[in-house]
Amino acid sequence: MFQSTIHHPPSQIVLLFVVVVALALPSWSHADDTLVVYSGRAERLIKPVLDAFQAESGINVQMLTADSTALINRLQMEGARTPADVLVTNDSGTLERARELQLLQPAAVPDLEKTIPGRFRAPDNSWIGLSGRIWVVVYNTTMVSPDDIASILDFAEPKWKGKIAIPSAGSIYLQTGVSVIRALKGDEATTAFLQGLKDNAGSLVYGKNRQIVAAVARGEAAAGLVNHYYIFRHLAKHPDAPLAPLPADQGEQGMGVVLNAAGIGVTAHTKHLAQAQALIRFLISPKGQRMFADVNKEYPLNPQVTAAPELLPLQSIQVARVPLSRLAELRDPTMTVIEKVGLR
Amino acid sequence: MLPLLYVLFSAVTADPAVWRRLWTTRVPELFLNTLSLSLGVAIINLTLGISLAWILTRYAFIGSRIWDWLLILPLSIPSYVLAYTYTYLLKRGGTLEQIWQTIAGPEAAFFSPFSFAGAVLVLALNTFPFVYLLARSALKNFNVSFEEVARTTGADRVTTFFRVSLPLIRPSLIAGLFLAILYVASDFGAVSLLRFQTFTYAVYQQMTGRFDNTAAACLSLVLVACAFVFLFGERWFRQRSRFYQTTGRYRKPVPQPCRPLTALLFTGYLVLVFGASFGLPVLLLIQWTVKAASAGEIAPQFIGYVWNSVSLSGITATAAVICGIPLAYLACRRRTWASIFCVQGAYTGYVLPGPVAALAILVLVSQTVPQLYGTILVLLMAYLVHFLPAALQGMESTLQQLTPNLEEAARSLGARPLRTFFQVTLPLVRGGFLSAWILVFVQCMKELPASLLLRPVGFDTLAVRIWLEASEELYQLAAPPALLIVVITIPVVLLLMRKNQT
Repeated sequence: MFQSTIHHPPSQIVLLFVVVVALALPSWSHADDTLVVYSGRAERLIKPVLDAFQAESGINVQMLTADSTALINRLQMEGARTPADVLVTNDSGTLERARELQLLQPAAVPDLEKTIPGRFRAPDNSWIGLSGRIWVVVYNTTMVSPDDIASILDFAEPKWKGKIAIPSAGSIYLQTGVSVIRALKGDEATTAFLQGLKDNAGSLVYGKNRQIVAAVARGEAAAGLVNHYYIFRHLAKHPDAPLAPLPADQGEQGMGVVLNAAGIGVTAHTKHLAQAQALIRFLISPKGQRMFADVNKEYPLNPQVTAAPELLPLQSIQVARVPLSRLAELRDPTMTVIEKVGLR
Repeated sequence: MLPLLYVLFSAVTADPAVWRRLWTTRVPELFLNTLSLSLGVAIINLTLGISLAWILTRYAFIGSRIWDWLLILPLSIPSYVLAYTYTYLLKRGGTLEQIWQTIAGPEAAFFSPFSFAGAVLVLALNTFPFVYLLARSALKNFNVSFEEVARTTGADRVTTFFRVSLPLIRPSLIAGLFLAILYVASDFGAVSLLRFQTFTYAVYQQMTGRFDNTAAACLSLVLVACAFVFLFGERWFRQRSRFYQTTGRYRKPVPQPCRPLTALLFTGYLVLVFGASFGLPVLLLIQWTVKAASAGEIAPQFIGYVWNSVSLSGITATAAVICGIPLAYLACRRRTWASIFCVQGAYTGYVLPGPVAALAILVLVSQTVPQLYGTILVLLMAYLVHFLPAALQGMESTLQQLTPNLEEAARSLGARPLRTFFQVTLPLVRGGFLSAWILVFVQCMKELPASLLLRPVGFDTLAVRIWLEASEELYQLAAPPALLIVVITIPVVLLLMRKNQT
């Protein structure tokens, strides 16, 4: 009797181990027909569209959300073994980088050329822009008059001290904005601008665009720099918020607003090419584009689909002349400038 | 150990340009930030820890026994959960600011959670129990004769405290501070949500924001070097300050009853500290969870996240105990240079902050067995490297308490080594091993940076969900998993506490 009781512990542990492994395994392996999406976009902005695709096509979609750059590092490390079928990011620069690293393959989707204008695609269609966003000023209408803001570069001036809310250094939107300014104005002017911006923002540095818009709505900051659709998403929920968007840097001398496109690319080593192409077909179709326009308030890139009525038409806005594909090469030196200035 | 060497190697062989960039742009700021954060937390920890321990060991008042237990509960809240409740409480126009403004006038502003003060507050509230616990046990076992001698020679209460009592409990205080500072320096969750730049957070940022991991490896090297300096400094300091009971005249301190007003004051203070570090955050979590549940916002995948967390933590804990058995055995029974090297190597996981452990495993796997990348095994390895030391420590001390005579007796009666182990040793140390298992299990449930960086597709854990939702300030969505982790951790913290007391 004594013998049997002391024999128990090791066998119990082993048994427990086996049971746990056996129970856990099924949840780790995903079924073969599942389309795996590596997504660098906020879940709220992409999941509804993917859910709609899953419902319509019957193709299961599984998503891994992480930082866009981290996803590229991951794809690179996984090489041919990657489970990912498509890469979705909020920035064309990252997609172009993935193309340069040969992580993507040209997408063969019928009518692609007719549906999405050339400047929103990689030359070989390795990545395809899905929705456009412009980096604009959001201001509190009770605190600022739109005439006070001619250029976002003015935010470095002392009169904006404690009044301007900015995204944190990790924000890909800030990085893109700085890249464009660098390309047009040079490193020195950009560094001076960022230094002033940092001093003026003080503690008004936010990790998410949503928080900047909310801060401006509450009057914590008089103005902020955000992607346009966060303003309209906030206004859709709180119609009385004293908020307005302002595309600055217009006119002949202006550098134009920073435009970026969120997009998608098929991975070079996908095992579900047909399903991946079906997803792209859905996303550029009027139905998919409608969701980006109506749910997210982004600019649809398919010209057949109109933007949400409250948005300024994209055609009426002067956009900075830096091609999307250049954002990739501008990125690393931009990070160094941002770190040198010490933005948080 | 091996993964760490890999990282250090890639850091040493890195392009000098990367080093130059880091030294000029990042390292000074990060060093200053990490140091000032640690110091800030240390000062608050000392103040809170000593005062609380003093009150609870020297005075008796209604409820003073319960506080003993309540004050360790803050240890059950992961730092990122506390941080996210405080981003809510401290935000402009938030609850605390409104209260403050009714006292100090409508223009009074509270400090932002996304600042030095915010980070210090959150981490201090999260770690003060370390100092409190050690100070309390030191004060409890204190020989009151020393204080009485001081008092009879004319020193007043305050002088006695600062000149006699405080220096005598110094070793315990330093041990507690050491734990707290190590925790602060390796914390990822709180500083990432509060966006306070420390070394640990910067390693993660370089890994996710740059297209190669060299810079992250370089920062890891600096961080690990600092950690070792700190470790040895602590050893040295402890060896210099040892106090011994030399005579037999030991008298236990007896808690004095105190006046009602004093008791009320003490209780108020305790309620404040407890409320800020545990009560208020947990109430908020409960409120958000109820709201989320009634609004039907709890995702159907929630059960899946729970299962991911529980199964992964269970397997890691089992693996840690199984790997720990031979190591602990070596450390206790066969002390040779090789075995000491092995065991100390396993302990290096202690000084590795989560992102560094993740980076180390990542680099190692990608250069040796790239097939494994993106599978659950990589995450498992990272957990193991990180938490094996915790298991090992518990198992080693359990084995040490067991006299080798018993095993020798079994062997002399003809039992083979394995049989001896399973029939004699294991049954006797089962309790200690079980608590090592539980400890690792809980640590894994809370683990964040490695899970974020290494999780396979479709394998979000509870901690990952909390962090993703909390960094979007979706308070209600982050609350149910956060509450669950706290609820699972509480009994474990209490259990470990009870073991330490007896």
